[in-house]
Amino acid sequence: MGMVITAAATVLPDPSAPASVVDLAGRAARGALARARVPASSIGTLINVGVYREHNTFEPAMAALIQKEVGINLDYIADPEPAAGFSFDLMNGACGVLNAVQVGQALLDTGSTERLLITAADVHPGGDARLDADYPYADLAGALLLERSADPCAGFGPVRHYTADRPTDVEGYLDTGTMGRHGRTTITVRREPGHAERLGERAARAAADYAQEFGIDLDRTLVIGPSTAVDDAGGRGEPHTAAPVLGYLRALEDVRSDACDQFLFVSVGAGPSAACALYRPEGR
Amino acid sequence: MSTTAHSRIEALGVCLPAAVQTTPQLAALVPGLGDVDIEKITGITERRVYDPEPASGEDSFGMALAAARDALESSRYGAADLDIVISASITRFKDGDRFTFEPSFAAMLARELGARSAIHFDVSNACAGMMTGVWLLDRMIRSGAVRRGLVVSGEQATRVAQTAAREMTDSYDPQFASLSVGDSAAAVVLDVSTDAADRIHYIELMTCSEYSHLCMGMPSDRTPGISLYTDNKKMHDRDRLKLWPRFHGDFLAKRGRAFAGEEFDFVIQHQVGTRFIDYANQTAEAEFAAPMPTSLAVVERYGNTATTSHFLTLCEHLRAGSARPGAKYLLVPAASGVVTGALSATLTNVGV
Repeated sequence: MGMVITAAATVLPDPSAPASVVDLAGRAARGALARARVPASSIGTLINVGVYREHNTFEPAMAALIQKEVGINLDYIADPEPAAGFSFDLMNGACGVLNAVQVGQALLDTGSTERLLITAADVHPGGDARLDADYPYADLAGALLLERSADPCAGFGPVRHYTADRPTDVEGYLDTGTMGRHGRTTITVRREPGHAERLGERAARAAADYAQEFGIDLDRTLVIGPSTAVDDAGGRGEPHTAAPVLGYLRALEDVRSDACDQFLFVSVGAGPSAACALYRPEGR
Repeated sequence: MSTTAHSRIEALGVCLPAAVQTTPQLAALVPGLGDVDIEKITGITERRVYDPEPASGEDSFGMALAAARDALESSRYGAADLDIVISASITRFKDGDRFTFEPSFAAMLARELGARSAIHFDVSNACAGMMTGVWLLDRMIRSGAVRRGLVVSGEQATRVAQTAAREMTDSYDPQFASLSVGDSAAAVVLDVSTDAADRIHYIELMTCSEYSHLCMGMPSDRTPGISLYTDNKKMHDRDRLKLWPRFHGDFLAKRGRAFAGEEFDFVIQHQVGTRFIDYANQTAEAEFAAPMPTSLAVVERYGNTATTSHFLTLCEHLRAGSARPGAKYLLVPAASGVVTGALSATLTNVGV
C-alpha cells in the first residue's frame, strides 16, 4: 500500500500581526485535519520542515510548539492518547518536504505511525518578510496529511536525492558576530549570481534522471517544480519549504483539465542538492 | 522493499575540546550569582569549553566532523559506504560565529566526510536530537530504505553559558540552567542487526507538547549572544518525570511485559545534573515498582552536553573497558518539547 496525501493546506499570514511559524503551521495543519475530518489525537508523528522562524528560535523544535498549537498529545498522563504523538524538526532547505515524505514511508512501513502530518513553514525572524529586501522568501506555511491507501497503485513512489559536486550557492545564517542585540530579527540569505538559472537546470536534470530510472512518461506527468510563485500574494517573495504543498494544491486544480494522471515532485535546495518523487493520486 | 526486524549500534565516536573550565572558574564569571553554590545545585564539577580560535576546529561543525571521523575509525564502514547522514546539533555554529540554517549541517558533513551519495538532513529536537536521529535511522533501516547510516551532533553549548554569565542577576533567573552546559560532539553508526547480542530491541519516543514553552532558546535581546530560558521548576517537576515510566510501562504492558522483566544492566538518563538523574531514577523506581539498573553518568566531568549526552556517556563507558559484553542498556531522553521515551539495546561488539 502506498502513502497518499489525504489533505493539504497552505496559509498566508495576517498582515496585521508579526508572522509566526507556530501560528501559520498550526493553522495549515488544522486546515488539513478539518478537510480530512480526522482528530488531532490520531496523529502519530508531526514533522516540521521549515527553515526560517520567528526570533531565530533554536530550541525547542518548532514542531513541538506547532504540536501544542494543533492540540496533539498535550499531556500523556492527564489525557493519554493512543497515538502518543511525537514531533521534531527536519531541515534540509527546500528539499525538506521530500525528505519528510521519505522518512514518512519508513514510519508507515514499520508501523511506527498510522498518520503523519508534515508542516512546512517559513517566516522572516523579524515577523514580516516584506520589510527585508535582501530576504527572498515569502512568509508562508503548508501542511500535508499522509496515510496509507488501500489503492495499491496510489501514493508516493521512491524518493531520490541528487547531490551536485560543487559548492553550495545558497546560504542562510545568523551572523552572531555582528548581530548585536538584534539577533531575534536578523537573518542573512546569500545566493550566488545565476542561482535561478542553475536551480532550473538542476531541477530539469533531476527530473530527467528520475524519469529515466523509473521509466516514467513525462508527457503524462505533471511536474511540481521548485519555481512556483506565491502569485496570489503579490510582492511577498518566493515560497521556500512549502513550495511542494503549494504546487500540489495547484496541480490538483490543473489535473482536472489535463491528460496527466500523475505528479512528479521536484525540489532543489542548498547543498546543492535536489530530490524527486513520483506521486499518483488515488482513483486514477 | 526488504524489511528487517532490528537495527544495531555498530560504532560510536566522540570529540571533546581539551580546555576544562571548573565550576568555581565559571562562577567567578557570574557576579550576579553572589555566593550561590552552582556545584552543589548541579553536581557538575567541570565542563569542556571550545577554543574560539577558528584554527582549533572547535565550532559545532568542526567538533561534529571530528566525532564522525572518530566513529568511522572504529566502524567497519567507510564514509562512502554510508547510505544516510543525519545531523542533530542544536547549536549549528560554523565558520566562527555563523549560526547556520541552510544548507543543512548534514549536507556539509556528508560532503566533508566523503559520503557523496548519502541521503542527508538535519533533525532538531532539543536535547533529544540525536535520539530522534537514531529513531529515524532505526525505522529507515528496518523498512529497508537504507542499510547503514550515521547520526552525529556537535554542540558549542557553552555559548549560552557566556550569555547567562553576563546577564544573570540571581539563581532564580531563567538562564540558571545555562550554567550547567558543556561542549562536545558525538556520533553513532547504525546498521542491520543479525545477532541478538548486538541489537536495538526498541526505541520509542513521545512529545508532550503542553510543556513545549518551558525551555526556549534564541538570541538574547540584551547582550550579543545566544541564550536559553528554562523554567526548571516546571520542566523537572515530578509529573513531568512520570511521563517516561508511564509511557514506557504502557509500551511494555501492550506486549505483555513489565519493566523488571526487561533485565536492564545499565540506565543512561539525560545528563542534566546529578540531582536530576537521581530524582528521575527514584521517580521511575516508584512508578515501575522495580529497582533501577546501575545508572551511568559523566555529568560531573562534562556537564549537560545537550544532544550528545547519552552517546557520550555510552562511548565513555565502553571505552573504559569494564563493560560486560552482552550487557543491556536503557537510554532515556528528557528534552524540551517535552520529549521522553526509551531506547533498549544489547551491546557486545560496538566499535569504540
